[in-house]
Amino acid sequence: MLNQSVLKMTSLQSPLLAASALKPKQNVWKKGLAADLLLTALIDAFSILVIFLLMSFSSTGEILFINKGMELPKASRAEVLDRNPVVKIDEGKIYLEDKLLTAETLISELLDIRKKFSIDRPGEEFRGIVTVQADRRIKYEFLNQIILACAHAGFSDLRFAVTMK
Amino acid sequence: MKKEKKHLDFELNLIPFIDLLSVCICFLLITAVWMNVGSVNVKQAIGGQSAAETEKKPTLWVFLADDGGLTLETRDSSRMPASLQKYSLKGQEGKTDLKQLLVQLQEMKRAEPELRTALIQPKPQTSYEEIINLMDSFKTAGMADLGVVPL
Repeated sequence: MLNQSVLKMTSLQSPLLAASALKPKQNVWKKGLAADLLLTALIDAFSILVIFLLMSFSSTGEILFINKGMELPKASRAEVLDRNPVVKIDEGKIYLEDKLLTAETLISELLDIRKKFSIDRPGEEFRGIVTVQADRRIKYEFLNQIILACAHAGFSDLRFAVTMK
Repeated sequence: MKKEKKHLDFELNLIPFIDLLSVCICFLLITAVWMNVGSVNVKQAIGGQSAAETEKKPTLWVFLADDGGLTLETRDSSRMPASLQKYSLKGQEGKTDLKQLLVQLQEMKRAEPELRTALIQPKPQTSYEEIINLMDSFKTAGMADLGVVPL
């Protein structure tokens, strides 16, 4: 049954099979409508895909979760984003690591992070880094609350999340 | 007795190789991060040292206007010529002329190579994007230490 299949009857002999050293089948080319799949070209395409994907692979993963309506500003001189506490401004609300806060409670939460750091790593200098994730359209008067809260809590290093140009 | 000649060539089984590549492609496609996110770093002053104790470094103050214009003012610089110490840039359709700003910053950097600090003072209605664009221009001009002045 298998030997009588349409594909078997109509396919060309594979170039690999024809060149085979163990079972050489040269000069047994059949004329047909469908050509056999060229495996070399397929492997070439797969290899190129793997190389491209490996080059664009990021081991840090998704540091920020960007909501559908949020658009980050664009910058060409941006640096690599590290894992730090993330303060997010989304639709007029302030979040610290997805916890909804106000400008006042943000200070106490940031102070808690600082306190926890000194307990967990005694003797180590506190770097005070915070990532700020906000929509490109928000006004500075809103962003100012975050900057002031971070300054009050001793977070001097602000990292504004941007999309690379 | 004549020995039969062995074939040195062998057939490479390509099926496991294709399987491996397919699995690799699937894994990389699923774990790929398509959006390239970076950060613009800003170092804010949080106090601790008095103004008298702080080392005086050439600093560029940037005052933004509501119409997109801005004023550049260099402080604590002995090498900066008087003509460049205070410079005003007009806005274009409510936005800052970033090309003209870059030209001006490069001229300032030539006059004062030690100029590496810029403090931006936005207006309450200045958009976040505009501030980031300014910071990007300053970074392009070689100013590494940036700060934003709170309202």
